[in-house]
Amino acid sequence: MTPEYGIKLAVHLISTDFGDHAAKVCDCLLRKGTLALDDIVRTAKLSPQQVKTYLKVLIQHNCVQAFAMEHEGGCGEGPVVVTQYMLLFDNILHRMRFPKLLAIVSKELDKECEELFEAFLKHGWLTLQQILDRVPSNQNEGNCTVQDALRGSFTKLVNAHYVERCPAPDPFLVPPDEEKTPARKHDANSAKAVEELEIGEQCDIAKATPSKAKGFPVITDTCGDINGDKSIGNPPGVVIGKKRKQDALKLDTESGAASEKDVPWRANYKELVCHLRHKACIENVRARLDSGAAIVLSAMLEATQSAEKNVKEEISVLLSISTITEAVMQSEAGCSMTLERIRASLVQLGCHPNGVGADRTYNIDLKKIIELAQNDEVESMVLKRYGREAHRIFRLLSKSCCPLETTKISDTTFIEKKEAAKILYKLWKDECLHMEKIVLNESRQSQFMLWKVKKDTFWRHILDEMYHAALNLSIQIIELRRDKHVGALRERDVRLAILLQASLMKLDDALMLFHDF
Amino acid sequence: MSRSQGSSLKRKRPDTNTASQPLLDAERVLYDLIRSKEDMGIWTRDMKRETNLPDNVVTKSLKALQVKKLIKEVVNIQSKGRKHYMAVEFEPSKELTGGAWYVEGNLDTEYIKILKETCVRVLSKLKVATAEGISESINKTGLCATECSTQQIAEILRALVLDNEIMEVRSSGSGEFSSIPIGAVCYRCTNKGGLGGGGPTIGAMASIPCGVCPRITQCTPDGIISPKTCAYYTKWLDF
Repeated sequence: MTPEYGIKLAVHLISTDFGDHAAKVCDCLLRKGTLALDDIVRTAKLSPQQVKTYLKVLIQHNCVQAFAMEHEGGCGEGPVVVTQYMLLFDNILHRMRFPKLLAIVSKELDKECEELFEAFLKHGWLTLQQILDRVPSNQNEGNCTVQDALRGSFTKLVNAHYVERCPAPDPFLVPPDEEKTPARKHDANSAKAVEELEIGEQCDIAKATPSKAKGFPVITDTCGDINGDKSIGNPPGVVIGKKRKQDALKLDTESGAASEKDVPWRANYKELVCHLRHKACIENVRARLDSGAAIVLSAMLEATQSAEKNVKEEISVLLSISTITEAVMQSEAGCSMTLERIRASLVQLGCHPNGVGADRTYNIDLKKIIELAQNDEVESMVLKRYGREAHRIFRLLSKSCCPLETTKISDTTFIEKKEAAKILYKLWKDECLHMEKIVLNESRQSQFMLWKVKKDTFWRHILDEMYHAALNLSIQIIELRRDKHVGALRERDVRLAILLQASLMKLDDALMLFHDF
Repeated sequence: MSRSQGSSLKRKRPDTNTASQPLLDAERVLYDLIRSKEDMGIWTRDMKRETNLPDNVVTKSLKALQVKKLIKEVVNIQSKGRKHYMAVEFEPSKELTGGAWYVEGNLDTEYIKILKETCVRVLSKLKVATAEGISESINKTGLCATECSTQQIAEILRALVLDNEIMEVRSSGSGEFSSIPIGAVCYRCTNKGGLGGGGPTIGAMASIPCGVCPRITQCTPDGIISPKTCAYYTKWLDF
């Protein structure tokens, strides 16, 4: 279930970009889950025409997914096919981080690709025809060259997996199998979340195809040379379906090319989130260990990126020491690293070799790095909010695998028992800790308090606070834009805007740690 | 004295310590009980429960024993408010005093701080070391006035790990760990701590007013407490 301030933040982002009516549609889908048109009309208290209009806008901008599903008809009627609408919460939050996503493309590809990608972020779904139509019609001379360049940039974006085919506008899906998740029946919220995940996965598979497509999807390429850097060893192609399989590019006949131009494409958020996840891991290692370890990690992730099957991959793919060494030495930062230094970095990273001798392979526990990054963020907040001693107590309890008694905490952290008890109570009141009282009747000391960090509860609480903080920062940014002053104060407004925007992006990094990675 | 008089009134026995101190029966009972607890001592309520003597008798007897310098009152660090007594010939155990870290019933924060700083200084020089290695180095160079056991140093190091000034690692037996057995627990300074450290990294939430706000649960976009009216935001943005 989406936390309360997650809902408020998503509604705020939609309201800012598309207005209050779109925000109402978003709000009711977030609170009620997947709904049919009639239900949205009833809940959002808008006219059917308004709801249809805003649903189309939200679908266009990848914030809503429509799908058709068969349901039991009522009153002895046969099964009925109903179109329902599901809000894509993650994609709404991605709207907040467009500058970050654009920076990835800007770094990896050229300026033309960046500009084209920006169009995808601004307009949502775009067909190849719409991309080519961006060339102003009065530019008669060199029109073909410009169009070829656009096609080339588009191909680069596709090959790099930064754009993907849109799902079919209204795919027919099989209802999720309740038998597969019997344990979830007891928890309505979890059951709903699982159902929506399955629907999302089915929609991913049901990619849009040209109405008269034959065989694999193709892109007409008149540029000749395709940038295949991102897919080393693989034929350049497009992403289709659940797995990141790639199909060979083929030159097509005119009729196929014409229908292909009408297939909509969109930004591939999964690939971009994967990039951001790798970046977060590398930066955490750089801060926690050193730059050598960061270089080795970066090289390993670069070498295994194409083999990753999903965004939240826990363990990286196995690599031999020779592959790792080659990858490190090929990188600009790692060209002068010796084999011994690379081995030492692998030890620092906690990579244990699998196998023996020359066949030894290594992999990285990415889940562990993400967990350490999450711990760093939470501990920093506890330190700032409650002070050094509370921070020490919190770290002790986080590291402990079992609850600890007050005296034990006091002794280990070198804090007077009375003071330790006060701090523990404060942390418990603010839902950072879980407390259990044990009463022993036979002993002199009749009452013991046991304390522990209840990670899942506390992490959800932190995530909601982050959504709340992000919402507040967004509101401040909008207020600043409204209160523009002229003359001498403008420079101050610019500085404030930079501070607020930078803070929001930094907070978003932390938000992704807890939600996306 | 007759044995039939019951266990609570034991026959006076000649005692080397108390040869010159004639004790009343109640005093004798209490004194024997307190002595039997050796360096752990005993709480007054427990004395009353075990001897079944009336409260006023216990109070009077304890005062008399103190005047005769046979028992002393000691502080129990676990429960400072309770009156705890011990025979004078014993020194309070670690459980009562709190061990090396307590002085007169209070945590010796100054001593702990000095030890922490010393450990960080030694570790900065050694780069990587075990608790034994650090303890040896400190005791050899006489950096501390009193000699510290490896156990004490290990407790200090554990607290430094919790403060993120050092980190615990396992020896790989090679490179900088070559002098340390494989798998042994050792320590190194973190990038954040240590003598050359740049200070702890401030997280995203900790660097904005909302992240440390005591009123975050009452804050709403259009409420009395809101980002538009927030005093903490005004202060943060006022530069």
